[in-house]
Amino acid sequence: MSLIKEFTKGLAKENPVFVLLLGMCPTLAVTNNAINGLGMGIATLCVLIGSNVVISLIRNAVPKKVRIPCYIVVIASFVTIVDLLMQAYAPRSLYEALGIFIPLIVVNCIVLGRAEAFASKNGVVASMADALGMGLGFTLALVLLGGTREFFTSGSLFQIKLIEGWSQDFMLMGQAPGAFILLGIFLGIINWVNIRKAKKEGRTYTPTGLSCSSCNLCDLGDK
Amino acid sequence: MSSNNVNIPVLAVSLALIAGIAAGLLGWVYLVTEAPIASALQEKTNTALRDVLPTFDNQPGDETVVVDDVTFYIGRNEGAIVGFAGETITSKGYNGNVTVLAGLLLDGTLSTVLVTQQAETPGLGTVVCDRKRQKTLSGLIKGIKATGLPSNVMLDQFSGKQVVEGQAPWTVKKDGGTLDAITGATITSRAVGGAVFTISETFAQNRGQLLKENN
Repeated sequence: MSLIKEFTKGLAKENPVFVLLLGMCPTLAVTNNAINGLGMGIATLCVLIGSNVVISLIRNAVPKKVRIPCYIVVIASFVTIVDLLMQAYAPRSLYEALGIFIPLIVVNCIVLGRAEAFASKNGVVASMADALGMGLGFTLALVLLGGTREFFTSGSLFQIKLIEGWSQDFMLMGQAPGAFILLGIFLGIINWVNIRKAKKEGRTYTPTGLSCSSCNLCDLGDK
Repeated sequence: MSSNNVNIPVLAVSLALIAGIAAGLLGWVYLVTEAPIASALQEKTNTALRDVLPTFDNQPGDETVVVDDVTFYIGRNEGAIVGFAGETITSKGYNGNVTVLAGLLLDGTLSTVLVTQQAETPGLGTVVCDRKRQKTLSGLIKGIKATGLPSNVMLDQFSGKQVVEGQAPWTVKKDGGTLDAITGATITSRAVGGAVFTISETFAQNRGQLLKENN
């Protein structure tokens, strides 16, 4: 039962993009269409599963003092593997569209964050469920953002034109400003829904995961 | 494991061990993916060359001749030269380099022109460069399958043109010339027009030599 909870929390309640606000760099940069969002999401999902499982396996063998460098080595290895596999087997156009953002998964906060906050304290199966949930939540958010931006840019989704008369692209949404504007609107809607729900239940809304209690990267949480 | 009592050798050994295992794993993955990556890169070049050259059965990517700023790929069918594909990089794009690939028949007539690499303004400069097939929902429902290379007004106007030696460079209509340019992307249009002219002119000047030396 708790396994299912570990899995589903990443999809909605602790969604890495919309609630935890982690991994903003790829979120804003590669979501100019739904396919790029999907590709980036799946690449991150693969790295996340690999790193979470391995880190959970070695969590007791690694001395606490050098755990962060060890985690970085593990994560960087998986990113390089994903990068090489994509170069070899993914469609060339997708690999070129994602470009520098594949190697940059190494510094994606979600991956190190889940390693430190979850995989280093939990068993292999639970860590895998956590990685799957977080990775799918990230993918979902990227596809949602990418799809919306693609639709407002050219009236198409997954490169298929839905509105055929739409001949002139609306470039604002496809470019960087559109990413910020749309992400802001999405976050606003999610906060509004959550606050309304909390008010109905007669409590104040506090976003989950924004406190230091779930993370032990620094000493702030101990205070 | 108390945090006050740090055992440096243990830390060093465990970190080195993990780095060593990771390095071994990466080496293995590199060996496995080396050949597929090389063939994926070659396939990318070949896909572009297939669009601009007549049917060929060799590897034009391995048969190149560099003349001035232009790289010529030689397309052969059963040993005989069927055409050349000239590639040049111009720095006159709106945002950095634009790489243009143009197919040339043996008499020097331009066939198909492609832009293989660019970083132009999306929605303006890219209109000059992209040959994109737009899938539509109604097309998918009706099951229409489009074939052939997608058209591009700017790039298609070069097909059938030819530069003779000593000819003045082509210019866009805005500069008093004859080339059509895309509205809002004059600089990119100029860059692409200039690059195609360079390829065609270089070929015209060296046609005899290219044909003789590679036969």
